[in-house]
Amino acid sequence: MREDLGMAIADLKRDLVIEAVTQRSAQGEDPLAILEECRHGMTIVGDRFARGDYYLAELMLSAQVFNMAAGILEPYLSRARPSKPQGKVVLSTLKGDIHDLGKNILASLLRAQGFEVFDLGVDVTPDRIVDKVKEVRPELVGFSALMTGSYPTMKETSQMLKDSGLRGGLKLMVGGGVTTPMVKEYLDADFQTLDALAGVEYCLSVVGGGRK
Amino acid sequence: MTGGSLTPDERVSAAVRLEKPDRVPVVPLVTAESAAGLAGITQAQINSDTNAALAATLKVFDEVGGWDSLFGGGVSTVAQRQAINMYPMKGLTPGKDIADNDVFQLVEEEVLLPEDYDKICEMGADRFYHEDYLWRIATFTPQEQPKVKEELKAVSRRYRTEFEKRGIGPFHVTAEMHPFFRLSLMRSMVRFTEDLYFNPEPVERALKAITEELISKQVHIAKKSGVARWMFVEERASAFFYPLSVFERFWWPYTEEVVDAFWAEGIVTIFHLDSCWDKNISYFRRLPKGSAIIELDSTTDIFRAKESLSGHLCILGDVPATLLSLGKPEEVEDYCKKLIDEVGGNGGFILSSGCAVPPDCKPENFRAMIETARNYESSRR
Repeated sequence: MREDLGMAIADLKRDLVIEAVTQRSAQGEDPLAILEECRHGMTIVGDRFARGDYYLAELMLSAQVFNMAAGILEPYLSRARPSKPQGKVVLSTLKGDIHDLGKNILASLLRAQGFEVFDLGVDVTPDRIVDKVKEVRPELVGFSALMTGSYPTMKETSQMLKDSGLRGGLKLMVGGGVTTPMVKEYLDADFQTLDALAGVEYCLSVVGGGRK
Repeated sequence: MTGGSLTPDERVSAAVRLEKPDRVPVVPLVTAESAAGLAGITQAQINSDTNAALAATLKVFDEVGGWDSLFGGGVSTVAQRQAINMYPMKGLTPGKDIADNDVFQLVEEEVLLPEDYDKICEMGADRFYHEDYLWRIATFTPQEQPKVKEELKAVSRRYRTEFEKRGIGPFHVTAEMHPFFRLSLMRSMVRFTEDLYFNPEPVERALKAITEELISKQVHIAKKSGVARWMFVEERASAFFYPLSVFERFWWPYTEEVVDAFWAEGIVTIFHLDSCWDKNISYFRRLPKGSAIIELDSTTDIFRAKESLSGHLCILGDVPATLLSLGKPEEVEDYCKKLIDEVGGNGGFILSSGCAVPPDCKPENFRAMIETARNYESSRR
C-alpha cells in the first residue's frame, strides 16, 4: 500500500491519491503513516527530477497533489501525536517583488521532507523577516526573487539579521530566476540555486537529515 | 550612432541575414521602466505620464550616444498594455498600488477559467479578450478605454518621430505572445499546467484557434508596418519548465506554423525566449535558414546555442540583468567582448541585454555595454 500511494503521487494520479487518502484517513488509519507514504512519493518524484526524467512542471504538480493529500490529513494529524520537524525554514519573496511560484514549490517540497515552513508570502519587508526569525529561530532563511529590484531589500534584510545577532545561527539561501553566484556574494548568503530540489538537498544537508 | 561604416539599419539587417557587419550591432531592450531607472526618475512618474517616459528614453539614448535599433514596445503604462492586449494580467501600478519606485508587477492568478478555452474558440481570441476578458483585469473602465488607447497612439507616434530624427528605426513594430504563453499568463502557471496534464483537449483547441487568428491578423499588420521583423514572446515553454513531450505537443507545431506564415512574406520572427532553452535550442534548426532571430536572456547557454545555430539563425543577447545591476563596468565590458568574439565571430549576432535592461541597471554598466559594441572591434584593427 505504501508503494501504491507513493507511486500514485509520483505518477501524478491526482484523483486516485485524493480518493485513497480520504478513504484511509476516514477509516481510522494512522494519518502519520499515510503522510509518510505521501512523502515517499515525493522522494520518488525528486529522484526522477534528479535523473532528468521529470521537469519543473512535474515537481509543481506533484507538490500540488501532495498539498491536497496533506490538506485532507490535516484534521486527523492535529489529533495525532506531534512529530518533530526536520528543521525550520522561513521563506519569503521580498519587498518589490510578488513572484512566488518558485518559493511555493520549494515550500511544498520542504514540507514533504518534514520541514516546518514559515512562508511569509510576497512583497515582505525586512522587519517582518527579522521578527519571524526571532520568534521561531529557524535553521534556514530563504529569499526568492524574479526581479533585480528586490536585491537592495534582500541586502538590507541580510544586514539586519547580522545586526540583530541572528545571522550566525542560520544559513541564508537565495533562489529564483535572476539570482546568480554574484547575488549570493552581494548578500553574503550561504547558498544560491535556480533548482528547487537542490534547495531541498541543501536544507537537508544543513540540518543533517536525509531525504525521506 | 557612430562607430562603423554602415548605417544602424544596414548593420542590423546584415546581422539578421547572418552576415558579419562592420561591427556587431547593439540593440538593448530598453523599456520605459529601464529608462526611468537609468534617467533617475521614478517608476510612478513613467506610469502616470508617458511624456515623462519618452523624455527619459530619449535622455538615456542621447547620453550614451545611441544604439542601433529600437527594441520593445516603446513607452506605455500598465493600463495601456492591458488595453492593447500586451499584458493579459492584472497589474500593480507604481505610485498607486505599490511604492513609487517599485517596478510594475503582474499578478499571477487564475483569471481565465476552464470553460473559457472553448469561449475563445467560439468568439475568436481577440473578440474574447476585448469584450469579456479585459474587463476582468482592467485598471480602467470601458468609458475610459478610448482615451487610454488614444494616449498610447499619440505617444507612440512621438516616440517613432523622435527616433527617426536620430536616424534610428524600429527593430520590429508588431509583437505578440506565443499562444501557449498567453494562455499560461491568463490561466496562471499552476492551473495551466494542470490543464496540460489532466485535461489537454480544450487547451489544444484554444491553441489552434489563437494560432490561426494570430497568423490571419498579424502577418498582414507586420507586412503593412514596413519593417520585415516582428517579435514573438515566450517565457514558459522551455525545458526549464516542461518536458520535451509537452514542448513537442503544445508548442513546437504552432511555432513552426507561425514562423512559416511570416517567412512566406519575407518577415523574420524575433523570438524573445526567457528561461533556459538549452534542451530546446536544436529544434530551431528546423526553421528555414534566416527566418528567425533567437533572443536569449542569459539563462540559456548562448555559447552552446551559437554552436547549434551558427550560420542558420541570428542570435541576440545576453548581458545578464544581474551583471548590469550589481557588476562593475569592466566586468560588463569583459562579458560583451567575450560575446562579440565568440558569438559574433562569424556574424549573425546582435549584442543586447539579457531580456530587458533592469530598472536598477547602473548607468555606467549600460554605457559599458553600448561603448564596447561601438569601439571594441575597431580598436583591434
